[in-house]
Formats: sequence, structure tokens, C-alpha cells
Amino acid sequence: MRLLSWPLVTQLLLAPLVVASARASEYNDYSENLLLKSLPGNSILASFRFVSNGTFDSHHSVFPRSLAQILQQSQTKELHLKFTLGRWDAEQWGRQVWDGRTAGGTGVELWAWVEAADDSEADARWTTLNNALSGLFCASLNFIDSTRTIRPVMSFQPAGHHSPERLERLHLLHGTLPREPVCTENLTPFLKLLPCKGKAGISSLLDGHRLFDAQWQSMSIDVMPVCEENGKCQLQMEQTVDMVLDVERSMGKKDSLVPKPPPIEQLSCDQDKPYAGGDSCFPLSGVTDLSWSLSEMFGRPIRGSCPLAVVPTEEATHVCVNIAEQRAIFVSQGSEERKKSPELRCFVLHGRGPNFVIENLDFDIVLPELSPSTNILLTPPPVYASRSLTGHGQERGGIQAVLNNPSSNSTVEFVYLESLPWFMKPYLHTLSVTVSGKDDGNVVQDIYYRPALDRKRGTQLEVRLRVPPGETVLLNYEFDKAVLRYTEYPPDANRGFDIAPAIISILDPTSQKSTFSIRTTSLLLSLPTPDFSMPYNVIILTSTVMALAFGSIFNILVRRFVGADEVIGGGLVSKIRGHIIAFVTERRRAGGNKPKTE
Amino acid sequence: MSERLGPDVAATIASAALAVAAESKTPPESAVSVSQKRKSPPPDTPENTRNRSLVILSFWVVVITVGLPLWWVTTAIYRAPLPLNEMQSWADGRACRAEFPLLIDVEAPTLPDPENLLKTVQHALDDANDFSAHHLRLRLSANSSHVHDGGESVAATLRLSQGAAGSPHSYVLSPSSRIIDLFYSPSYNPTSLSAFVASALQEIFAEEQQMISYLLASSAPVPSPSPSPGGGNGGNGVKVVSKVNTAEIARKMSRIVKYSSMYHLTFSLFTAAGAPSSWEIEEAVSEYLQPLLDALGGISGFTVDSQIQFYASLSSSVVPTWEPHSEEEGAGGRYTLKKEDLSSFINSAEWPLVSITGYPTINFIIYIPAADQSPLIIPTSSTNAFLLPQWGGVMIHNPPAESDVTHLTKEALKPALDIFATQLLALLGAPTHPASLPIRLDSLTRQRSAELLVSASSTLGSLYRLTLALPSISIPSSVSTSVSSTLSSLTAACQELRRGRFGGALEEGRNAEEQAEKAFFEKSMVGQVYFPEEHKVAVYLPLMGPVGAPLVMAALKEISRLVRVWKASKLGK
Repeated sequence: MRLLSWPLVTQLLLAPLVVASARASEYNDYSENLLLKSLPGNSILASFRFVSNGTFDSHHSVFPRSLAQILQQSQTKELHLKFTLGRWDAEQWGRQVWDGRTAGGTGVELWAWVEAADDSEADARWTTLNNALSGLFCASLNFIDSTRTIRPVMSFQPAGHHSPERLERLHLLHGTLPREPVCTENLTPFLKLLPCKGKAGISSLLDGHRLFDAQWQSMSIDVMPVCEENGKCQLQMEQTVDMVLDVERSMGKKDSLVPKPPPIEQLSCDQDKPYAGGDSCFPLSGVTDLSWSLSEMFGRPIRGSCPLAVVPTEEATHVCVNIAEQRAIFVSQGSEERKKSPELRCFVLHGRGPNFVIENLDFDIVLPELSPSTNILLTPPPVYASRSLTGHGQERGGIQAVLNNPSSNSTVEFVYLESLPWFMKPYLHTLSVTVSGKDDGNVVQDIYYRPALDRKRGTQLEVRLRVPPGETVLLNYEFDKAVLRYTEYPPDANRGFDIAPAIISILDPTSQKSTFSIRTTSLLLSLPTPDFSMPYNVIILTSTVMALAFGSIFNILVRRFVGADEVIGGGLVSKIRGHIIAFVTERRRAGGNKPKTE
Repeated sequence: MSERLGPDVAATIASAALAVAAESKTPPESAVSVSQKRKSPPPDTPENTRNRSLVILSFWVVVITVGLPLWWVTTAIYRAPLPLNEMQSWADGRACRAEFPLLIDVEAPTLPDPENLLKTVQHALDDANDFSAHHLRLRLSANSSHVHDGGESVAATLRLSQGAAGSPHSYVLSPSSRIIDLFYSPSYNPTSLSAFVASALQEIFAEEQQMISYLLASSAPVPSPSPSPGGGNGGNGVKVVSKVNTAEIARKMSRIVKYSSMYHLTFSLFTAAGAPSSWEIEEAVSEYLQPLLDALGGISGFTVDSQIQFYASLSSSVVPTWEPHSEEEGAGGRYTLKKEDLSSFINSAEWPLVSITGYPTINFIIYIPAADQSPLIIPTSSTNAFLLPQWGGVMIHNPPAESDVTHLTKEALKPALDIFATQLLALLGAPTHPASLPIRLDSLTRQRSAELLVSASSTLGSLYRLTLALPSISIPSSVSTSVSSTLSSLTAACQELRRGRFGGALEEGRNAEEQAEKAFFEKSMVGQVYFPEEHKVAVYLPLMGPVGAPLVMAALKEISRLVRVWKASKLGK
């Protein structure tokens, strides 16, 4: 079996976890694993997954107390928080890991099911949640106010187990911060939530310098109650870090932290080009699989195994590598290989020796160079999606989303969710959905639209679409740009305003539940921006006009007008003028006399 | 007026224009001659002068009657009226003289003449007391059935009974009740017995009295009650003791966590490695600590949670020193922490200790050092624990070598929790002295009432100073409401204290403190502070300058003309 599809990989990885959690008698267990997968173009996808289970009471062990307390204070029953940077290149890398569940839109995305009696109580608890998470993760989550919050109707379903009575009282709230730069200050609190805190186990690989240097990276936290068949429930937190690393770039860092261009001899050039020669080069990529190792990619090896992670069963493993069968793998001592399939080779780290003596053996994986390059087959995502701004000028614009179903035989049904800020006012009557240039009434299944209120809430647009196999759907609509108040502009107003990514939730045809999710990129909308010294200029200008009018009327009314030759004594100005004139005439006379005396 | 002026003005303008035209036609050389040949202007008619005065006057009338009020109304900042005098008098401690009359029931069924004894003891107590706000009152209880009449709480019950023959006077406090059992020697002498009773009572309540007097004295410059000249021997003795202990009390007071009606207790197990991974904290807390928390329930409530943090490293500034054992003990040794290390022991950058509860958190930490730093000892502490003022307590636990390193049992946690219980009482400010817990808790109630009274008063004082110092901040009416609620609560608390109903006083004090804080931290008040005055100048000046200048100049000219006219008329006379 040379080709291995994504769902199968996911299943293979998830199966041991389910077994482990079912077996665990105590509700405070923890497990972690790392998946490394080679992607085309000498990229590596590293996907870290940490699962901590805890109880609902106030005594915590592996489940972080700080987060549990926040959930309790805000009555949040299910929480999803994503920090994402960069763009997942679906054309090149295929489907996202974990069915896109762990990836958010650019910036920060948060959605939660909050238990409350009514909407206003839910809003209050949502604000509490945002403020507390903002402090915990050093992110501007406290800026998720009513204008950035929506209540999606079709796109999300709770993933945890909630009793039917509780489901009645749960409110789904969703907020995005597309502008938030995700950085090390978010990673540090993220690592602190882990029992081993990045000091042992696979989390020791996580380092801000490498993580935020990735082509795409996403950190996610999902907390939900998980129940077993026998009715026992526990609070489960799944933390994941996914990143796509460029091997060439990462390996270049081992010599110097500053990236340097390689010397010309080491470039692989396409010699077929007519201009190929000693001084010009058309770079060839994907000729060879570059050699890499964990310690070189991440700057350090895995520092032993985390002793708290569940003792691996026959099935459970710590590190899995998904690469082509031909590539060789060398691993360091203290590990045991378990081959799950020719393309998925897994390793168990023996951090904990006999008698609980912790042997902190470093673990490393080395892959030698291989030419020609090998590839594992990638499955395409259910939908290719891209979104862009159309139109010109400062007054109005448009949005076009291109949604393509790559499948050759199955129709795909999904919900397209837009959360737009209030200053972007879409016209629903301009919404057009075309398939291959023609209007097709069968594409749009359902529309949920909640118009914006100025400064109170944003627009929420959910469209359920059904795309026939192999077709491309264009979704267009137009909008007006509002003029903001002086104080509503950010300090760098001319940069533009970030528009949150659209969320595409692929629905299961039978259950109508979301099975896969995709985010488009965020957009940068430029609004009419005033000159910010304007208010003061206006004050000065109007004051000047008023003062001029007032001054002239006042002067006409109170001044006495006389002839120029009738001024008595004159003011200071005329006195000075008289002196100057007298002086000038005196000089002229003296100058005129001079030549005569000579 | 302007209509009448109209043609007149037009004529002047026309003539001026003609004059200018004539001037421009003349060759430049003749300019000098023009300026020299000056005509005198036509005489100003009295009617014109009068009109001009009226114009200027009417402008000023409009500015003053319409402009200024309009400007005032549109830019005024709402400042709700505050009872400033009352606030100041509370802040200065003049409004209320807090009193703590402690009622002590005396049961003396076997004594022949209890009234007389009571009188002498009361006299001795009053003589010895130099802090009159806190005093003991004795009451003979005939039968204990109507002890709680009038809601006044009884601080303690003194039970006098005959001791064994030949033994001296002695007293015993039971740790779980308010009863003081005093055994007098059968061959007693009334004077010695009364002196003994007085000194016993003084001893029991001395610490509380010192604490309260310290609290009230430190808050406001209350004129200290003048010590009675030539007081008895006992009085002098007490005074000497209180002076000696001032530093000690200040140290004790500085530890106390600010009062709140709820506290959050966090028990954290920090281990430097990955083990132990579980502990029986829930069982241990409910067994060893819950009784104390229940007893404290009348003063403050508590919520409890716990956590385990693995791989918790000490901050880099804390480096334990290796101390080898002395020769006779052979190899091995211990790591010790210096006193300076303790202040930076808590690695707040790494350890997640913050709670998001709305009320204060008290942290209790058990730290288990790494195997290569074990055993870790604080040489100056016999219990290997220390208290962090106003924050919590830390205990360093070195698990015995031959034990299960992955699990901490309830029994293993008992010493730690006993230490934490003591630390909790110290952090809450309970006096350490009398052995009876109920009496200590009563003391704590009185102390906390005093503290609340003082802190609410000082908050009012700060608000008073703030409103005076920043005239540009707005004072919303909610602040005024909160202030009046604070004042009424403070008055009520003061009265309750006088009547000896300390539970009620605590309740009122709590309310006063809450309302005072609410008034002081009013959001809309804070926002206004950052609006700078210069901004206003920049906004007003472009209009006020060009408009105001001609108005003022015209007014000045007019006034100087009037003065000249007045002088001329005076001279003419």
C-alpha cells in the first residue's frame, strides 16, 4: 500500500488515543504525539497534538487550573481558540491535517458555547471569557466586542457531549481578530498549559524562532466535555500546533540565523532554458529530497519523553513520520519503531525506564538526501476556496469568492460564512452565485443574513451551497464603505482594515453536520481616510471665517471713517510711515547733492 | 440703530474711497506734501458718539448674557454635590469615636460575694486600661438563659470555681469555647483574687487591644486618650508592654490580607520534575482545613481549588547552597536556602498562580525539589515553611527516600495543611495569643470591623482630596449615591460597635467599604482625567482671540474716552 490517504492516517493516530482514554481509570491523563509529513516542494508538515483530560471540579492536575477557572467563571462549556499565521496552500499541500478542525483563520479566532438563560447574559459571559483569555494568552481578545461577535446558525455544531437539557441553554458565539499578529508571547502561555511545559517530551521542540518562521502555522486549543458510553464524563483539552516548515530555509539556519543566499554552484538550475549559463539560473525545485533531521529543523532534539504522557500501549506512539517508502530513516537510541504501514513509521520514546527512573535521552530523527525526489500522494481538499476584493474607489467595492469542487463524481455541500465589520455594508440584492458563468438556482440552498447595525454589530452572512462535481462557483456581492468617525480610525488607518476570513464548513450529506472546515485568507479593505489634522484645521478655518465676519461688521459699526488726510495725529503705524518717508527723502536729497560737491 | 447709522456710514466710506482714489492719482513725489498738508477731520457729532457707545455696549450685553451662559452650559462638567465636610470629618477620624465594649459574663455560683469582686475587678481593669476605646465590661450572669438579650454578643464567659486545696489561682481556656475556667484557691484573699482575675482578663485580650489601638492610631491622627496621671502599677506595666510590641504589631499587621467577604484559596503542588503526579488534596483539605474554614465562615467565605504543576523551576536568582553534613554523620548533606532567596522564591514569571476570581486569592504552595537538589532545607525555619505577607504560604516538602514518589497521600499532606492553617489565620489577622479559637475569631471580627471602618474612611478621604485636586473631572450622580450610602453605613457601623454588636458592625463596615471603593473607582471619573487643559486652549483660541481682541479694544477705547470726557467735564466745572 504505497498510497495512504489522510483520513486513514488520522484514524490510525486517533485510535490509540481513544483506547487509552477509555482504559484510564483516573480522569487526569495526558497524551501527546507528533506527526511529521513530507509535503511537495521540500516542505515538512509538523503536527503536534497534546490531549489533557481533567475533571469538572476545582482540583486540577494535568488540566490547567488557569483555563478551567476561566471556563467556570464564564460558564463556557465548549471552547475553540485558534491562532494562525500564514496561508495554507491547498493547491500544493492538499487537505489540511485533522480535517481543518485545528486551523483557524488568519489572526485569532475564538468560538464558544456559553451556558446562559438569555442573550444578554450570554453576551456578558462572553465578554468575561474574552477578557480572561486575553490575559491568559497575551492576545487582544478583549477587543472582541459586539461588533466582532456573531452567532453562527449553520456553520458550527458542538463537538463535545452535552446533555439535551444543557444544549437548550447553550449559546454559540464567534469572534475573530484578523489583524492580531500571532507571536511568541502567545506561544509561551500556550506551552505553560502543557504539563511538561516544553521541558520534556515532544513539546521541547516548540521554539518561537522556528515556529513563527514557518510558512504556515496554527496553534489551537479545543476544550469540550467528553463522555464515555457508561456515562462518565471528563473535560478534555486538545492543544495542537501545526506548521509547515521549508526544509531548505530551516536547514540554512543551522549555520547562521540570518538567511544567506546559497552560492551559485549549489543552485540547481534548469539547463533547458535558452538563457541558462554561468550567470543566469532558473531554479529547479523538487529535484532532490533534501536531508533533514529533527535537531536541525527545530534547533534541538526531543528532550526525552514527558513522564506524564500515557504509557504507550501496543498502539500508541509518540512520533510518526509519514514519508515515501523509499526514504530511509535513522533514529537515535532509546526508541522503538512500530511500522503502521509502509509510509507511516512510528516511534515510541522510552523516557521512563524501569522503576520510574527518568532517563532523559535525547531523541532525533535523521533523513538522508534522496534523488530523485519522492512524493506521497496528496488527497485534494473537498473544496478549493479563494476570496478577493473587487471594484475600485473609496465609496464602494465588491467581494468575489471562487469555490471549486475538485471531485469528479460527488457533489459537495457546504456553508459559506462571512463575518463582516459594520463599516462594510453589503447589499444582499447584489448577491449572485454563478456556475460556469450561468446563474443556477439549485446552487444556493439556504441563506441566513443578519444585517449590521452601525457601531453595534457586524453583518453575518451564511450561505448554504451545493456545488456539482468539477464545477466552479463564483459568489459575488457588492458593498458600500462607511465613513468612520475621527476617533474610530486606528493609528495606521492608511494600512487598511482587515476583513476576517470566510469560513467554509463542508457538510456531511446525511447528518448535515460540519465535517471539514476551510478558511480563506483575510482581506485588506481600504476605507476613505481623512487627514487626521482635519479637526483642528476645521476649527481654525471656521474660526477664522467667523472672526473675519465678526471683525468687519464690528469695525464698520464702531469705527469712525474719515478722509486719509484728516487723520488726527495718526496711529503708531502712520507715525512710523511718516518717519520712514522723511528718512528716505532726506537720503535721496543727500545722494543727489553728493556728485556736485565732488 | 444700525439703520439710522446706515447712510451716514455709507457716506464716510464713499468719501474715504474718493480720498484713496485721489491719492493714487497724485505722483509719488507729492506724498510728502500730502502728509504735510493735513486737514482736521469733521467734528464727531454727539449722536455718532452715543451710537458707537450703544453698539459696543449691546455687543458686550449679548456676549455676557447669551454667549457666556451658552458656553458655560455646553461645556460644563457635571459634578454631583458631595457631602465634603462629612467626608473630611470621617477621613480625619472626627466623625466617629470607635468603641469596643467587650461584655464578659461572670458565673460565680460558689463565691459568697460576687458583686463586690466584680466591682473591684472592673475598677482594676478600668484603671489599667490606657486605651479607653477598647474596654472590658463585667456582668454577673444570674442564669445563663438570657445571655443574648439585646443582641449584644458576649465576648467570653468567666466561670469562677473553687480549685483544689493548696493550689494557687489559675485559669484554663478551652480551645473550642468562649468559657474561661478560673480556679481560685480555697484559701483566697479577695484582693489577690480580684487582681488575679483582672490580670488574667487583661492577658487574654491584650493582643487584640494592641492591634485595634494600632489600627485606629495608624489611620488617623486621633488625639490619643490622655493617660491618667499616676496610674496604678498594673497600668504602667501594660503601657510598657504595648510600647515594646509596636514594632511586632506593625510586622503582624503588614502580613494581613486586605479584608474581603470572600477569599479564594489555591493549593498548588509545584514539583521540579514530573513526579508526584497525584495528591489527595481534596480529601486532605476537607479533613484538616474545612473545620477551620467553617469556623471562619462568619467573617469571610472561602472557595478552594488546587493544581499540580510539573517541571516548575525556581527562578534563576534562587540558588540553593550545598551544605555537607558534619563529619560524624558521614557522607551526604543538604541544600539550604538563604533568607534572601525566600523573597524571590516564587517564580511568578513561570508559575501560573493568578486567579480570575473577583475576590483576593491566598496561595499555598508545596514545593518538591528536584532529585539533584534534595533535600532542600530552610535552616531558619523548623517547619521548612515560610509565609509571604499578604500573599500566602510556602512549604518545601522533601519526600522521604523510601516512599512512592508518584503519589502524595492524605497523611503525607497533614503537616503541610497544619502549617497552612496557622498561616491562614496569620494572613487573616487572627491574634495568636489566647488558646480559645472562638475568642480569637471574635477578636478577628472586631479587628476586621475596625480595619473596614478605617479603610472606608480613608477611601472617602482620598475621594475628597481627588475631587478638590482635579476640578475638571466629572462626578456622576452614582458617586454621590455611593458616598451617601457609605456614610450611612459608617454611621451604622459606628453605632453597632458602641452597642457591642460586632457582627452587625462587620456587616455595615463591609457595605461601607464596598460602596466607598465603588465611588472611588467610578469608571467615568477616571476617563475624564486624561483630557488636558491645553487642548481646550487650542480649540478656543482661534475663535476667542480674533473675536475677543476687537471687542476688548473697543471697550477699552470707549472707557478711556468716557474717562476723558468725565475729566474734561470736571475741569470745565
